[in-house]
Amino acid sequence: MGLSAYLMLAAALFSVGLYGVLTRRNAVAVLASIELMANAANINLAAFSRFRAEATGQVFALFSTAITVAEVVVGLSLVILLYRSRGNVLLESASDLKG
Amino acid sequence: MSAIDLALIATFGPLGTALFLLLLPGLRRAGKAAGVISVGSAIIALGSALQLALRALETPELGRVTVQWLPHAQLGVASAAESAIQVGVHLDGLSVSMLVVVCFVAFCVQVFSLGYMAHEPPADFGRYFMWHSLFLFAMNTLVIAPNLLQLFLGWELVGLVSYLLIGYYWQKPSAARAALKAFWMTKLADMGLVAALIVLFKNTGGFEWTAHPQVAGVAGTVTLLLFLAVMGKSAQFPLHVWLPDAMEGPTPVSALLHAATMVAAGVFLVARAHPLFEQAPSTQLVMAYVGGFTALFAACIAVVQNDIKKVLAYSTCSQLGYMVCALGSGSQVAGFFHLTTHAFFKAMLFLAAGGLIHAVHSNDIRDMGGLFSRMKITAGAFIIGSLALAGVPGFSGFFSKDLILEEVFARGLYLPGIALLLAAFLTAFYMGRVVLIALFGEPSSHAAHAHESGVSMTFPLILLAVPAIGAGYYGATLSGLYGEPVHFHVSPIGMVATAMGLSGLGMAYFMFGAPKGGAALRTAFAPVGRFIALGLVDKAFLNGYRYGLRGLASGIGWFDRYVIDGLINALGYGTLEAGARLRPLQTGKVQDYIYAMAIAMIALGTAAAFLR
Repeated sequence: MGLSAYLMLAAALFSVGLYGVLTRRNAVAVLASIELMANAANINLAAFSRFRAEATGQVFALFSTAITVAEVVVGLSLVILLYRSRGNVLLESASDLKG
Repeated sequence: MSAIDLALIATFGPLGTALFLLLLPGLRRAGKAAGVISVGSAIIALGSALQLALRALETPELGRVTVQWLPHAQLGVASAAESAIQVGVHLDGLSVSMLVVVCFVAFCVQVFSLGYMAHEPPADFGRYFMWHSLFLFAMNTLVIAPNLLQLFLGWELVGLVSYLLIGYYWQKPSAARAALKAFWMTKLADMGLVAALIVLFKNTGGFEWTAHPQVAGVAGTVTLLLFLAVMGKSAQFPLHVWLPDAMEGPTPVSALLHAATMVAAGVFLVARAHPLFEQAPSTQLVMAYVGGFTALFAACIAVVQNDIKKVLAYSTCSQLGYMVCALGSGSQVAGFFHLTTHAFFKAMLFLAAGGLIHAVHSNDIRDMGGLFSRMKITAGAFIIGSLALAGVPGFSGFFSKDLILEEVFARGLYLPGIALLLAAFLTAFYMGRVVLIALFGEPSSHAAHAHESGVSMTFPLILLAVPAIGAGYYGATLSGLYGEPVHFHVSPIGMVATAMGLSGLGMAYFMFGAPKGGAALRTAFAPVGRFIALGLVDKAFLNGYRYGLRGLASGIGWFDRYVIDGLINALGYGTLEAGARLRPLQTGKVQDYIYAMAIAMIALGTAAAFLR
């Protein structure tokens, strides 16, 4: 299989993630969708690393995973706070900045 | 000490005093001390000026020093370096003699003021002398100016001091209004000076009054604009209306600013810028006619005034008309010589009038009457001044007035010349009238307790009497200083003028002094007097200003209210409206923003791909 297959997979995964971010009402589901998008990027990194015979991409993918985990920690704690103040985890309930 | 140093001392000494009094309110409010310091600096200035005059008698061209004030680069004009904007000192016969006149009269007036203003509150007294010192500085700046720019600076400064001193009794509404009126009228005229400077600078790259080769084309414009400023400052018809009102100021101020020196600045300007005016014969013609008309016109008004200061004020207008007419005939010497003699005798007249007013506490000549026997020195000075003004042979005014008439007729300007002759008759008549009524008439109740003023008020009069009588005999010497020497001789015109003056005095005697009282003559001339007393020109200006300015103001007000404010309001309304329209975009929903970001990223990516 060539490089483009991996890239296609990553693009598909990213699109699924983006769709999830844009359509899901549940904040936890949105966070999960963001994970999908981040992992799409990781697939790209790993694929390029493999096809260019360089370790850099894989190192980056590791870093990226670590950062994603940290982000999920922050994101989930925000979700908990959201639940505490609103009693639900629906994104549309957090629209205090409406103009 | 070099001549330049002396001129700088005469100029900056008084400035130092003015600043000293300004920055030390305690000293200023002390009153007497402030006056003494001011007089002291005036003495120093006078000493320097006299020293300069002695040197100028040997070599009139005492020197010229200029320093660069602004480089051309700052003005955005690329031109030769030697014509940069300069200030400095220019000493020749003209400026030195003017310096002497200014310092001498200023000194006399300040000494006189010590007595005249003695009953003022100390703080006001100090303020008064502060302005006097500032005036001396401003006037000397004007006089020693090496170019028209510095002259303009001094010109505006003396205008400012004039405003401040006319409004000295600012609590009086009439004085405050008179000060404003003087300011408005002269500023209106000063626009001409500003425009003249601009035209001159644009065409020659400098502010010199010398005959620059490039000036020939615009000489007419420049001189006409300069003459507009002269008409304002030297109270020529129709811009003379501020001068009579300026009499609201203290009498010594009228003597110094509004008779002897400041109003003569216009005449000085023309004499100074003689090379420019020489190239504009049409402007000179205008000047001759305006001057001649003003001389006659103001003399007519002076005849019917009962306020002694108003008589003298209109007389000043009239005499300035003589000077302007003489300058218009192209005779710098005649005009400036009359300025010199007039400064002395008119200052003396005003100071003497101040003494009389001080004694009877009224400006009205009918409240005086019979003062001669009570105040011999003051009245004597007034009589000497009147005779000099009337052009009686032997007094200084006789020489300068004759010279003017001779020059005007020699240049073939018959109409202005005849106006001047008639004015000579009227001048003698109205001065005779004032002298006969105020000094020899029936004593009024006011005059009963009048007594001679103190030494500080009589000493300046005696001092001024010397040049008021004698300046004429040095006419030849003085004219040598100003330019070409003039030979004084008995001429037919001079004899006619003298006859006119004497008959004016005679007529005044028949109407106001003769034992019969001349009641019939007085009734015969009453309608003429009433017509003159209407003050038509003044009314025209009042209404012109009132309706013209009010119309202009309401027009500008409308523009401001509806156009300027409208624009501002439209801007504010537009901002609010735009905000209201854009507001729904901010839904507060995170996903909407992300949606917008995603679309934007796709759009950007597409654009980048296609527009590469």
